[in-house]
Parts: sequence; structure tokens; C-alpha cells
Amino acid sequence: MTTMDTQLLIDRLSTDCAPVRCLRCPATRSSTWLAIAVPYVMLASFMFPRAHIEAVIIDGRLIVEQAAALLTAITAVFTAFAATVPGYDRRILLLPVLPVLVWLGSLAAGSADEWLRDGFAGLWLRGEWICVRWIVSVGAVPAILLAFMLRKGAPMSPYTTAALGGLAAASLGHFGMRVFQPEEVSVLMVVWHVGTVIAISAFAGWAGRKWMCWRAAISPVRKRLAAG
Amino acid sequence: MNESNADDAALAALMKAAQAGDSAAYAQLLRAAMPLIRNVVRRARGFLGAADVEDLVQDVLLSLHAVRATYDPARPFIPWLLAITRNRLADGARRYARRAAHEVQVDQLPVTFADDAANTDIETYGDTDALRHAIEALPPGQRTAVEMLKLKELSLKEAAAASGMSIGALKVSVHRAMASLNRTLAKG
Repeated sequence: MTTMDTQLLIDRLSTDCAPVRCLRCPATRSSTWLAIAVPYVMLASFMFPRAHIEAVIIDGRLIVEQAAALLTAITAVFTAFAATVPGYDRRILLLPVLPVLVWLGSLAAGSADEWLRDGFAGLWLRGEWICVRWIVSVGAVPAILLAFMLRKGAPMSPYTTAALGGLAAASLGHFGMRVFQPEEVSVLMVVWHVGTVIAISAFAGWAGRKWMCWRAAISPVRKRLAAG
Repeated sequence: MNESNADDAALAALMKAAQAGDSAAYAQLLRAAMPLIRNVVRRARGFLGAADVEDLVQDVLLSLHAVRATYDPARPFIPWLLAITRNRLADGARRYARRAAHEVQVDQLPVTFADDAANTDIETYGDTDALRHAIEALPPGQRTAVEMLKLKELSLKEAAAASGMSIGALKVSVHRAMASLNRTLAKG
């Protein structure tokens, strides 16, 4: 940009000053996403082919686990939107930590019970790709919608924002799955579910650095300035 | 403190007008913001030259323009602007480090014909008479090839048509002639 004088750039930018609609606050944007994503996830989870469940257990632990998973999705999406507003308080990034810990804690407690009851036999891991397919396919549409919504914000911390978006979509997918698959918690389930959620969040974070960077945000402006 | 609050309120009002499409208010806002941005950049990156500082200022202005919809008029303007500036500074530092790692410093690039470094020895002839005598001493086929291809700068096809030699013979002749001239001139 050194070829252009800064005063000239200001003149060009001011002529490119089309009216813009202010982004709504993170709470409103999160509510909008949840209003679309939660019904979709419930419907998609209901229609998804389910495995046979040997023992349906609906108890206090499942309620805590589901509440924590839903709270994880809510706080993660709120934090993701907040992170796209310049000047946001970085302490807000800690918001999803508590629900995530409660969620993981409830799953870990269930797994520990299984281990105490069945011993090392309960730790045997087999491929449960249905969990991965479920969470990925059910969470994909909300994740894509969220990606478009987040991209309207500022790419202040692309990796964190996208990873939180991935966490929100994946934990909502897990929530939907558990509503219709309230089986007993096992180490197997924890590994596949939590592993999928972590993998999706990590992938979203990696992808976020590509599509939520300043270069991508500024590129349309540069093109307009070059054209006109 | 009151003065800075008043400044912030004035900038916030300008930004609100700019979001509604008021070009004059936007130009006024950017002119008012430019020294603020430049000061922050200079303080944070004192080691940079003026051109690099202006690069960063322009990057911040472009970023501000790209994400102006994220400003909430109910909130103060300057923290919003400073957050973008600091974020772009961090981004710029990463770019600067990458560029410095791959850059070779030179005082001046030899890109013009007037520059000595752009003119190599191969373009200067030591003795034109010696060259002329060396060409005259070549066998007739080689001399014809050099005259047509090197002095008259004809194409191989044109030289073949004019001399009656085949294109292959012309290539061989000119190659041998150049080798012979190099040897003769190196001796003399």
C-alpha cells in the first residue's frame, strides 16, 4: 500500500462508504443461531438411524450431562460471537470452561462407574463410527450457518473464534444424539463423543485461520478500490 | 478525561453517520483517527521506518473500513479503534518477521541500462577491427552463417532461403563460427 498516499486512501475509502447495518449484539446473534440450530438438531437427530440401545438410563447424571452439553453450546456460541467484536473483554473466553468441565466431569463419573463395575473389560475400545457420523452430519448444517454468521464479524482471533464455533455445533450435535440415545455412559462413548467434539473444534480452528483472516476481510475493499 | 470523553463522543457520532452512508462524516472520522493510529503504531513499532509505519496505518484504515459494521454506536469508539489497531499491529509484526526472513537487502537494484551493474562485459567489444578480420578469416559457409544470423539478424528460415543452405547446416556453421571467433579473439 505504500504506493498510495494515506490521505488519498482516506478519500477513496470515504467514497466507498455505502450504508452498513450494524451487527447485532453477541447475545442476539447467539439467540438467532440457537433458534435455528436447536430445532434442526432435534429433528435431524430424530430422523437419524439409531443403534439398538441395551439399557436406557435417564437419571440425574444424564440430566446434568445434557444440561452441561447444551450450556457448552450456548456459552461457546456466545463467546464466538463476542470474540468477533473489536474491544471485547478477553475474559469472556473463559465462559465455556465451566460447562465443559461439568460436561466432561459427568461423562468421566459415568465411565468410572462402568470401570468399577466391569473392570478392564469396560475399557475395551471398538470402532463406533456411528457416533462420529451422527455428530458430524447433525452438526454440519448449524456449523456452516454459524461460519457464515461469524464471518460478518471482525477476525480478531480467528482460531479461537472458529474453534468455539466448532465446539458449539459439535456439543449441540452430541446433545441431540443423547436425547434420542440415552444409553448408559461408557468409556467407549466418552472416547468417541468427546474425541469427535475435540476433533471438530480443532478442525474448525484450523479452517478458521484460512477463511476468517484480515486478508479475506480486506480483500473485497482492495478490489473495489482497485476497480474504482 | 472530560475532553477525551467529548472526543470519543464526537468520533462515535461521526462513525454512526458513516454507518448510515455519510461520506463527509466518514472522511472527517478517518482524518481524525489517522493521527491516533499513527501514534500507536510509532509507539509500538519505534524501530520501523516511515514507509512501514504508513503501511501499517493504511492496513488499520482498511481493516476499520472492512469491519465498520461491527461498531456498536452505543459503545465508546476509541477502544474499538485501538483494539483493531493492536490486532493489526500483531498481524503486521508476524508479516514483517516473515518478510525479513526471506528478504535479501541490496542498496539499489541494477534494473536500468544506465546502471553499471546492468551492463556486463559481454556486451563490450574490445577491438572491432580484430572481430572484422576474424570473421573474414572464417570458411565461406561459416562466414555466411554469421553474417546472416548474427550481423543481419535474419531468422533461420530467411537465412536458409537467402543462402541456399539448410537450416541444420546453418545451425552447425554458426555454432562452429562462434567457437572459432571466441578462440581467435581470445588469442589476439
